[in-house]
Amino acid sequence: MSLGKRQHLRFIALHAPLLLAALSPVCLASQAQAAGTLAGTSIENTATASYDDGGTTVTVDSNTVSLIVDEILDIAVNWDDPGDVSVRPGELDAVLKFTVTNGGNGPEPAILGIDSNIASDAFDPTAVTMFIDTDDNGVYDVGTDTLYSPATPPTLAPDASITVFLLGDIPASTADGERSEVELTATAATGSGTPGTVFAGQGEGGGDAVVGSTGATADDSGFYAVVDAALDLTKTATVLDPFGGATQVPGAIITYRLTAETTGSGALDNVVITDAIPADTTYVDESITLDSTGLTDTADADAGTYDGSGIAVTLGTVAGGTTNIIEFQVVID
Amino acid sequence: MKYLIAFLALIAPASAVLGNQVALDSEVFVERSEEQADGSVTVTLEEPTRVVPGDNLLFVLTYENTGAEAAENFVVTNPMPEAVVFVEEIDGGARYSVDGGTVFGALAELRIASEDGVERNAQPADVTHIRWTLTEPIPAGASGQLKFRGVVR
Repeated sequence: MSLGKRQHLRFIALHAPLLLAALSPVCLASQAQAAGTLAGTSIENTATASYDDGGTTVTVDSNTVSLIVDEILDIAVNWDDPGDVSVRPGELDAVLKFTVTNGGNGPEPAILGIDSNIASDAFDPTAVTMFIDTDDNGVYDVGTDTLYSPATPPTLAPDASITVFLLGDIPASTADGERSEVELTATAATGSGTPGTVFAGQGEGGGDAVVGSTGATADDSGFYAVVDAALDLTKTATVLDPFGGATQVPGAIITYRLTAETTGSGALDNVVITDAIPADTTYVDESITLDSTGLTDTADADAGTYDGSGIAVTLGTVAGGTTNIIEFQVVID
Repeated sequence: MKYLIAFLALIAPASAVLGNQVALDSEVFVERSEEQADGSVTVTLEEPTRVVPGDNLLFVLTYENTGAEAAENFVVTNPMPEAVVFVEEIDGGARYSVDGGTVFGALAELRIASEDGVERNAQPADVTHIRWTLTEPIPAGASGQLKFRGVVR
């Protein structure tokens, strides 16, 4: 410990570049602490000295330096869905999920905005609205979650996040595979701009508000992807007459083949293939097959039924890319 | 009698000042580094009108022996403000406390009981108090500075 003469601050300033290497890891560490000291907090520093003055110990306090911590304005937005949200043409209120986080050190209202009209995508959802996840369960709940109103933006505590749901209607004209980008923007209500911009006196606790590294505004995009499927049904007939030929005479057996081809990236639900038995023919009992496997006529565990006037095969949910072949036979009367 | 009391009240603080042979002054500066066009970094010191989390602070304590006698066994203790993380002391020779001012020692000698009960070496961020003990008396009229850095949490 040197007892050097009073050093001027200029001395420190001159040597400061040498100390930068020591400082930089600290800067990183302090950024890792999210919001930091709350805005409005007072930092007070007082040192105490004691010394011996002719046998008596004297204690002396320094003056107290008081600093007020100003409010940092920082906002982050993140699209939370794991990937494109699958929608169907004409679907209403398709939900995209976002998180808005207050990275600042004071409570701050977040002004939200949507841009659903991104030029580079295939379609735009209509009637897009924003809901705040009021019960904070991460799932959009009709009637529970609150419709965002610009007049009363949600206020986020320091380090706090809210979930925001975007609900959009998918136009009926959209086709399988088409994508749509929707952007959510959140901005600190106090203000935004170049990092370091000061809003004097507008910080929490009466201090200033200072724009942080995020610029106090952030956005992220979520995506819808249309997933649709279509069913092509083709019917062919093969005739086998009693003489081994293909003449349509009484007693000839007609084998009908129904080819059900499901296309697209989606799936079709509740698919039932039905076909009426033609006039002047008689259904051959127990003749239904699905993909070459025989089905019974009665309504039971298997997919096939015959109700006296026609056959039905219940395929249920069929994914795009599936082809099912159904066959049944009738005899010409 | 009334006047005498008033007189005593006036001189009481004054005599206390006279008894304080060594004055101690505390200042806090914000170090702002800015990269220049030529790639060099300039660090400026400002007396802060405001601080924000992450600001680098330079604490400067100035002592001056204004008395006629040397001051011996001079010890300065600076408790870290709660919202400031200690970074480094500048001239060396300080001792630290990581337990609120009870035990002082070199930082490398201090241990911290972490949450799971396992001890670990104390880090600068654990410092709660800094103490300088001058080995030499401060001659009459002499002065000096003690400095350390911290970062606003």
